Amino acid sequence: MGFLDHIWLGIVAVFSADPVLTIAGIPISITITMVFSGFLGGIVVGATPGLGGPFAMAVSLPILVSIFGFDVDAMLPVLGFLIGIMKGATLGGAVPAILFNTPGTPDSLLTTFDGYPMTRNGQSGKALRVAHFSSVSGDSVSDIVLIVGAPFLAVFVERFLDFPEKAALIILSLAFIAAVVGANVWKGLLAALMGLFFAYVSTGQDNYPRLSLGIEELGNGFPVISAVLGVLIIGEVFKALEDMWREMREKAEIAEIEQSGDNKLHWADIRRILPFIGISASIGTMIGALPGIGSTLAATLGYATGRKFYKGDGNFGDGLPEGVASTEAANSAVSGANLIPVLSLGIPGNVAAVFIVLATETISGFNPGPDVFRLIPNQVNPEMVIAFGLFTMMIFANVLNWTLGGVFMRATGIMVKVPKQRLLPIVLLLTLTAIYVQETNMFAIYVTLGFGFLGYLMRKLDISVLPFVIAFILANRLEESMRQAFDATGSNPWFLFQSPIAVAFILLAIGVTVFFARNQKALG
Amino acid sequence: MTLKTAKKVLVSAALGVAAVGLTAGSAAAEWKPKGPINFMIAFTAGGGADTQARLIASELEKRKGWKIIPSNVTGKGGAVLARKIKDQPNDGTTIGMAVNQTFGYNMLATKNPGYGIKDFSYITTTAGSQMGVYAKTEKGWKTWDDVVKAAKGKTLKIGVMGQKLTDIAFLLGQKHGVKFNIVVLRGGRAVLNAINAGDVDVGFGAGIQNKAVRAGTLVQFLSAEDKRVKVSPNAPTLAELGIPFRGGSKFLVFGPKGIPADAQAEIAKAIADVLNDKSTKAADFVGKAFGGPQLFTGPALEKQIEDGIKESQALLKASS
Repeated sequence: MGFLDHIWLGIVAVFSADPVLTIAGIPISITITMVFSGFLGGIVVGATPGLGGPFAMAVSLPILVSIFGFDVDAMLPVLGFLIGIMKGATLGGAVPAILFNTPGTPDSLLTTFDGYPMTRNGQSGKALRVAHFSSVSGDSVSDIVLIVGAPFLAVFVERFLDFPEKAALIILSLAFIAAVVGANVWKGLLAALMGLFFAYVSTGQDNYPRLSLGIEELGNGFPVISAVLGVLIIGEVFKALEDMWREMREKAEIAEIEQSGDNKLHWADIRRILPFIGISASIGTMIGALPGIGSTLAATLGYATGRKFYKGDGNFGDGLPEGVASTEAANSAVSGANLIPVLSLGIPGNVAAVFIVLATETISGFNPGPDVFRLIPNQVNPEMVIAFGLFTMMIFANVLNWTLGGVFMRATGIMVKVPKQRLLPIVLLLTLTAIYVQETNMFAIYVTLGFGFLGYLMRKLDISVLPFVIAFILANRLEESMRQAFDATGSNPWFLFQSPIAVAFILLAIGVTVFFARNQKALG
Repeated sequence: MTLKTAKKVLVSAALGVAAVGLTAGSAAAEWKPKGPINFMIAFTAGGGADTQARLIASELEKRKGWKIIPSNVTGKGGAVLARKIKDQPNDGTTIGMAVNQTFGYNMLATKNPGYGIKDFSYITTTAGSQMGVYAKTEKGWKTWDDVVKAAKGKTLKIGVMGQKLTDIAFLLGQKHGVKFNIVVLRGGRAVLNAINAGDVDVGFGAGIQNKAVRAGTLVQFLSAEDKRVKVSPNAPTLAELGIPFRGGSKFLVFGPKGIPADAQAEIAKAIADVLNDKSTKAADFVGKAFGGPQLFTGPALEKQIEDGIKESQALLKASS
């Protein structure tokens, strides 16, 4: 069975398995239905200030797992829904930014710079169309790079990396994430170390639950979903509640502006913005492929580069379609490329990827990493089929994005009117419910609240939570690969320094940390 | 749903109702659980062992009209589950599925396991592993002797899952005067992946290797069970090599100590009926994944647990 057979099986798995409804005589599979519903939900969530793709993914994952089960058949429908949310939310985030000067997601902050002035000029329709076109273009470019790049990278990794190199690679990834996320390298490292510490409770090879202080419920460690959702979502809710209490909300009425200008997207417009989309999509894709950097920086760099290249009348910030295009293409291009390290190395680079990895860990039968793209003689590699199924779903979501995305996106302007004081309790309730659905015990809820408090403290102290979450998820992989490397080299304590590749990874890890630590003032 | 399948479903439902009615009528005196049965499974949700347990549970519900609530209590080779089950009510409404190692090697090798073999009622085994030692055919080794010869030239890496197999691999090396670098991997799938990727040279597998062994891309040298494994009848057992230990394990249904004998017997019999009836999904799955049911109950099962303890003690002694 070659690659082409696997690609075909992946496509078939997405489109024909388990039809749930029939439209015009064509059976529609459950997976397709899930991608579609995730996509719609994602646009709405993205367009709601205060919510975002990660939140929707976090809450829906446990619920989806309880509906579809842990069996391998659940993998594509669940991943499909998550991918749909991921794509939809990126698009939806631009809507309140353009219409109301309120970014729906952090990365659409830069969209407000030119998007909202366009609305004030009576061109909100055009701004939304530019955002849609740029976002989808950036996303498509990024997906193509993922689909072409990930299998080759995986095969390369598999061929050249042995146990010690794999351990060194995880160390490098963690160091990189800790160094580049957030304002301070040392705080990033501290967050990563805390993540490792909590993940090491009750894990490891020994049968006795280490570090559990004799608490029976901790016999199998902290529930991953509790730790991750606690720090990411509940921590954010606590912080937002406090901010609200502090501000007591400035009662700014959201005013709608009469739209009278040219609101169509003409060929001439597309020709104008295309070079900016090209530049930003490349930047976004490159940044997405590196773990930890994320879409906000991509948007910033895309916008800054676009501004440098712009030679026409007016300036970025006055309401130029080029400005909207530069930002949206860059932040959307991150999402596809972000899955490159996930699929080829099993290392998640941003929050969205964290939930993709969590889904694959909860449901059996697909373990992202170099093994996924291995051809087994005379046999089908079921993991490779799922990987190509994943690619198929991403392409399908892009098609949805191109065709229906614009229409749905323009209809979600209303979401900005959802008041925050109603939204936050709902978020809290939904998150705790989702966790209870998966873990079915109150202990998991207490753990979630505990990690929520930790997440709140980290935000107060300006410690980035992403290194914590990614370290928590990679901790056991790190320990296992260290032990395996130690075993495989005949108990050599210097196993990390035995091969040039491993040494290079370790030196890079130190280099990245030192570089960013020395330059953080300049960068800040 | 087409009309035809709807009809089929209706008919089978009607038959099912009739069957339940018949069994309820014919055996009024048989033991019945007082409420829903909590069935805790020591394996990760979705894996082969978990699938087996859930299929058995749903078939029991269908046949006996019992309400069974399966949940997963994973971790530490079944120790987390054993500690949890120990103090549950012993009226047959709480049972668990782990492996016999949970009450053998895994317990003995832990300093403070938090439970002992006397804490439980052992109800029945369901199936067992097909544990063997294998490598890629392209390595060119045909028998275990070839592997040993190769190991004399350079240190080979051997992939295992768990501490007991580590000890056995160590004894294998000791027996032949060679040193293996023993790499502990998480589960049989990880060992298979490491073999395919060339990260380890030889590995233990509990049956996951069978398909490729049949296809000829992998070759199996040894059986780590009592008997030679079905797929490789020419591969000698460890005992035949003079290493009197077994690496395999059996799935075991158990509960807290003191479950009444009639309850134990009824649960064991119901499970046996399910697994012996080839038309059930559970039996089909157990046949495919584990080479058919292995049903030990009562004194035979108790003797197995005791033998397991003795064997594990000997293994720990021999490898320390």
